[in-house]
Amino acid sequence: MRSIAVALAVARKDLVSEWRTRELVPALAQFVVLALVIANFGFQIDSTTAPAIAPGVLWLALVFAGLVAFGRAFTAEKEQSTLEQVILTSAPPAAIFAGKALAATALLVLCEAVLLPALALFFGTPLSIPLIAAVFLATIGMAALGCMFAAMVAQLRAREVMLPLLTLPLWIPFIVAGGQAVQALMGGQAAYGQALWLLIDFDILFVVLTSLAARFVLDE
Amino acid sequence: MAAILAAGITHWFGSEPALEGVDLVVERGDHVAVLGDNGAGKTTLLRILSTAMQPSAGALEIMGLDARREKRRLRARIGYLSHAAGLYPALTATENLAFFCDMRGVDRTRVPEALEAMGLTHVARRRTGELSRGLQQRLAIARATIHDPLLLILDEPDASLDAEAPELLARVMQKRTVVFATHDQALATRLGHRTVQLRKGHVMGAGSRLHVVH
Repeated sequence: MRSIAVALAVARKDLVSEWRTRELVPALAQFVVLALVIANFGFQIDSTTAPAIAPGVLWLALVFAGLVAFGRAFTAEKEQSTLEQVILTSAPPAAIFAGKALAATALLVLCEAVLLPALALFFGTPLSIPLIAAVFLATIGMAALGCMFAAMVAQLRAREVMLPLLTLPLWIPFIVAGGQAVQALMGGQAAYGQALWLLIDFDILFVVLTSLAARFVLDE
Repeated sequence: MAAILAAGITHWFGSEPALEGVDLVVERGDHVAVLGDNGAGKTTLLRILSTAMQPSAGALEIMGLDARREKRRLRARIGYLSHAAGLYPALTATENLAFFCDMRGVDRTRVPEALEAMGLTHVARRRTGELSRGLQQRLAIARATIHDPLLLILDEPDASLDAEAPELLARVMQKRTVVFATHDQALATRLGHRTVQLRKGHVMGAGSRLHVVH
């Protein structure tokens, strides 16, 4: 029970801070819309090419927005010298980590609430519950991994370089499975159900692994 | 049983030694002032005593517990005030303390009392980022004591505080074992039962009643 209370307190604190400062979400929302605008001009989009191009653009925008969102989760704590104070409270490190990941997931979901309708607008792709489900499932696993590496590199000067280098290779399974799911929904050959189960499997695997690693990452 | 039993505490930053073979015994209820110039190793020693940092070598026992193996149990009994206030600027003073109550599993009803003790009731609803450095320092002291710790580690607690600082700190330090670092010799004499002088990572001398093992 204590772990759940700690995780919820950390997540609530991060979300309240973001609501009051509005540092991250408006910037990320602008970023994803701009990415779609550039893609719209950069590619020859019509009704035949859109289903093939849109999934790639979606995941690219999501990956880069995620890197910024998850990186910021621990960088802000480092800049404010608050992470050490939180760790020194004797709260379970896994719960602190879960709270940070929960808040980062919520912030990225907010960006997705802008990204997905914008994708439908620019690319004429369908906006459906299965599409939202696939993107949301990918976000969970990506948040767990992204936050773990963000915590690891928060102490480094070259954290902006190191975070993508460490995170992107391990996000590939989510991009592959998530891409397949979205392609299936946009009329591709891939099987949606299979891709969705794969996303759930990856989520469970990486959420468990990162929770176990949290103690060493945050405390050692 | 001593509150702190440190033997041969040594710490390097890269190839630079910050502390070398520091032996220290602090009895329960003692108030020990750590004095020294900039770079003497005061902050490193205090960070090690607070379990924020592990020494490169040496043994450290705090309240009968091994500081390496029993970090989490110890942290529940230690209050640590670091150089930086370490507060969330977007949260109010009350929200900051309430958050750390949640982290420590302490009842939030202690928050108003802690704010009053530090003379912060009038700024309870103001965001921490809007407070002066002195008020932030008071809030950080309130945070360090919100769980009623047995051992207080204070790194320059008088920094940015006004003329009331000695009285305020004396109240906070009552009935606790305290190790604090300061540049102010007068404050060290007034609040500390004993003093430790650090120079370039070595204990150079100790004031009255200090038990330094060498």
